[in-house]
Amino acid sequence: MTAKQLKIKVKGTLRDLLAFKNLAKKRMQRFRKAPATRYSSLHVNDLAARLHPASQNLVIKEVRDETKSSRTFTLAADREAGTGEIAYFQAGQYLSIRETVEGCAITRPYSIASSPADALNGFYEITIRKTDKGFFTGHVWEHWKVGRKVVASAPMGQMFYSPLRDSRRIVAVAGGSGITPFRAMAREICAGGIDASLRLIYGCSDEGDIMFIDEFREMAKAHPDRFSFVLVMSCDEVTLEGCEKGFITGDIIARHSDPGSDSYFLCGPDLMYDFVTRELVSLGVPLRRLRREAYGEIKNPSRFTGYPSGAEGKTYSIVVHGRGKTETITARGDESVLVALERARYAPPSACRSGECQFCRTLLLKGDVWVGPESDGRREADRRNGYIHPCASFPVSDLELELPTAGTREG
Amino acid sequence: MDNRWNREYDAVVVGAGNGGMTASTQLALLGKRVLLLEQHNIIGGFSTSFVRGRFEFEASLHELCDVGSSEDPGGVGELFKELGVEVEWMSVPEAYRLIVPEKNLNVVMPFGVSEYIDAMERYVPGSRPAVTKFMDLADEVMRALQYLAESKGNPDRKVLMGEYGNFMRTTAYSLDQVCDAVGVPKAARDILYAYWCYLGVPTSRLNFTIFAAMINRYLIKGAYIPRYRSTEMALAFERRFRELGGTIECGTRVEKILVEKGSVTGIVTASGERIKTGHVLCNASLPRVYGEMVHPESEVPEMALRSMNARSVAGSGFVVFLGLDASPDELGLKDYSYFIYHDTDTDALYDGLYRLGRPTVQAAVCLNRAVPDCSPPGTTIMSITCLYKPEAWKDVEPKDYFKLKNELAGYFIDDFEAATGCSIRGHIEEIDIAAPPTYARYTGAYQGVIYGYEVDSWDSLMPRMMMMKDDIYIKGLRFASGWGFRCIGYSSALQCGRTEALLTSLDMDQEKGGAAS
Ligand SMILES: Cc1cc2nc3c(=O)[nH]c(=O)nc-3n(C[C@H](O)[C@H](O)[C@H](O)COP(=O)(O)OP(=O)(O)OC[C@H]3O[C@@H](n4cnc5c(N)ncnc54)[C@H](O)[C@@H]3O)c2cc1C
Ligand code: FES
Repeated sequence: MTAKQLKIKVKGTLRDLLAFKNLAKKRMQRFRKAPATRYSSLHVNDLAARLHPASQNLVIKEVRDETKSSRTFTLAADREAGTGEIAYFQAGQYLSIRETVEGCAITRPYSIASSPADALNGFYEITIRKTDKGFFTGHVWEHWKVGRKVVASAPMGQMFYSPLRDSRRIVAVAGGSGITPFRAMAREICAGGIDASLRLIYGCSDEGDIMFIDEFREMAKAHPDRFSFVLVMSCDEVTLEGCEKGFITGDIIARHSDPGSDSYFLCGPDLMYDFVTRELVSLGVPLRRLRREAYGEIKNPSRFTGYPSGAEGKTYSIVVHGRGKTETITARGDESVLVALERARYAPPSACRSGECQFCRTLLLKGDVWVGPESDGRREADRRNGYIHPCASFPVSDLELELPTAGTREG
Repeated sequence: MDNRWNREYDAVVVGAGNGGMTASTQLALLGKRVLLLEQHNIIGGFSTSFVRGRFEFEASLHELCDVGSSEDPGGVGELFKELGVEVEWMSVPEAYRLIVPEKNLNVVMPFGVSEYIDAMERYVPGSRPAVTKFMDLADEVMRALQYLAESKGNPDRKVLMGEYGNFMRTTAYSLDQVCDAVGVPKAARDILYAYWCYLGVPTSRLNFTIFAAMINRYLIKGAYIPRYRSTEMALAFERRFRELGGTIECGTRVEKILVEKGSVTGIVTASGERIKTGHVLCNASLPRVYGEMVHPESEVPEMALRSMNARSVAGSGFVVFLGLDASPDELGLKDYSYFIYHDTDTDALYDGLYRLGRPTVQAAVCLNRAVPDCSPPGTTIMSITCLYKPEAWKDVEPKDYFKLKNELAGYFIDDFEAATGCSIRGHIEEIDIAAPPTYARYTGAYQGVIYGYEVDSWDSLMPRMMMMKDDIYIKGLRFASGWGFRCIGYSSALQCGRTEALLTSLDMDQEKGGAAS
């Protein structure tokens, strides 16, 4: 049928044409009749800003020695600095602390060790283990006292329970300070906030340095159906009763859980992470029943196959195009591009320092980097267009890059 | 330049979503000095993606309308060609599968007008003449719109009346009204209307012209998506824009648009930088521009406020992203695009968008059916989308938010499984859920709205085109987005940005002309 043969009328030719002619007039009439006010509500944006504030100004309310090498800090909203409330979160998430240490603006992620219910009561707890010669933790031990102001990201991270994905029997495998997110989960589960049970397999290397041990015993006693734990002690002499000895292996995991149906959550130091992942896979645990915390900062890239040998001992130059100026800095082969930028007194954005959150996303204009196998969280199009995540990228040649502006996200 | 300003540009584009990307690239192509500012750390706006475990999820795009094949491009395909933006397009295999369990309706509709009409005749015997008429009419609508675009707003009335009379007689009406006039049987409408949720307005109000243009383009040109999610498209724009000498700054939020005596004079960023320009193209949501950004407040004309209050904002999105540990074949996911509705009455479906209960509408996509290797072998990427009106989220508190998202996502998955007979639940390796606050968070969109204003007949494409000059309330301030004259949708936003850039360039020429004379 050609256009000529087709003849559609809706209300009659004249009325239809008049309706066409009057479209603009009618629209204008509607406009004129409406009130001249600004929008009355922005509740969706407000909710977004409460859930994901661009940053949180916090203040230390309490400092408690947890073990001989770890401290728990209670953080509350710093109203003076303009933060009215702390953001709610999901047990297992972390905060990325932003602080200037020896003139360098850096970030460090710490799992929230308190429960979401605690956040509704106005506080977070983070528990930090002092690392040997730790750049940031050393500073914390020296400066983090009651009353000190601390700036943190919104809660972030993907290691939390999903009722749609996970088994209602969660098995947490933790090593060292990797225990912190599971303390949050245990508290939340015991308080009934998550309808699941938690079995904790907790590897420690020193009997005097077991975090939250008294609390775990109490919770296990009070809520035997929801929470239980087993310690796996790797020290030579073990005096505690009922522990497993050695490192966490597939055998130990299989003895204390059901690899055929449980969901496993894993958080611990990199070597444990690699080892336990392999053990779980060989126990037949599919990836859908395995949640793993962000890998963490790679400390020793040369231990990975695929890392070009010798690069770790070299220094490279990085041409940095910042806003309006260009400078050349030096970078060590064994440190990430992010650390090189921080050492050079830039303040590039970052949060997870594990390649996962993409906060540090940066355009690499020239040169090559090596990226950790568990830490390449880039989008495919980013990868193809020269974008890198500096926190998980190590220089293997001289580089040239464009410094990102801190992503100011608002609600 | 006087010392009140840090820098100066011919034009500043506020926001790098679909409209902002085409606007900035077009202006740069015309040799203008353009600054593109984006608050997020990546450009694209809703055109983006994110990684969870072994999966990279598309944040928003289901299918792009009017791209066409490289041999037979559509309007959007031409736009990419003319702007010199290269994207690897993957074609979507079929138009859609529509399932309405309550009505025992389960149909697969193909692309191609005659194929579509044939399929409809099979499902609704006797529908052929009316559906053919509808498609002929849609074709005239599309040609009329092309003619209007070519005539650059000065159409010859005689040509309009002579060649496009049906278009003129139907453009003031709703889809229902025109279907009544054409005599499309009810059973055929139930199938024909499936795309309504892409526009988010019930068919009793949804303007016929915009729907007709959309279905015409889908059936004739097919649908496409970028191979590496819409991030590929965004970064292709970025590369081209840089190549053309444009300046792009992510992580930079524009706080104020400065206006003096009814004309734009510049912008101020969140970090306090003052940038001089006479031309601002906003991809940022229209209500936020007039509501917060134009400075001083007294420079916001009353009519601008009235125009906003006269309209109602369309929906925000709710998306369940699923990374599944089985292949689409193993899961029984045969199709790319599924519309699952619990009614054929779109007014009833639309009412459901105001409630946070059991959903009435979902549009699901199995990405692997267009991009087979979008996820590792033996896995599948799926997403289930629904719209919600912002009002529905009014009383949601942070402490309820995560539970609520899981509860709603559970309904969507159950519905999908029940409607298709596929078993999804036992295969979820990654799940993420975006809700209106998610969209608000990443783009700053007003109330997390992903669309813009509803396209009722009184405020659809034609009246907006007729009033393009009237809709400029501040000289030098234009809107390049789904809030603009082309109305809602990916393709519309892309095209809107480009047209507004061309008009801005004309404004610039006129200013120069004015200054010289
Ligand atoms: C998701 C996540 C959650 C975590 N949760 C916890 C937790 O709950 N509790 C906990 O104790 N730990 C946690 N961690 C580990 C924590 O983030 C730190 O890595 C740890 O506290 C060590 O910090 P440090 O700076 O003292 O260590 P270091 O090993 O000293 O520092 C690490 C980096 O600092 C760099 N550096 C050295 N000098 C400089 C300089 N001048 N400028 C800039 N950089 C420099 C080094 O190159 C090195 O890469 C978590 C990690 C992740 C990824
Ligand atoms: S800081 Fe998270 S990806 Fe680099």
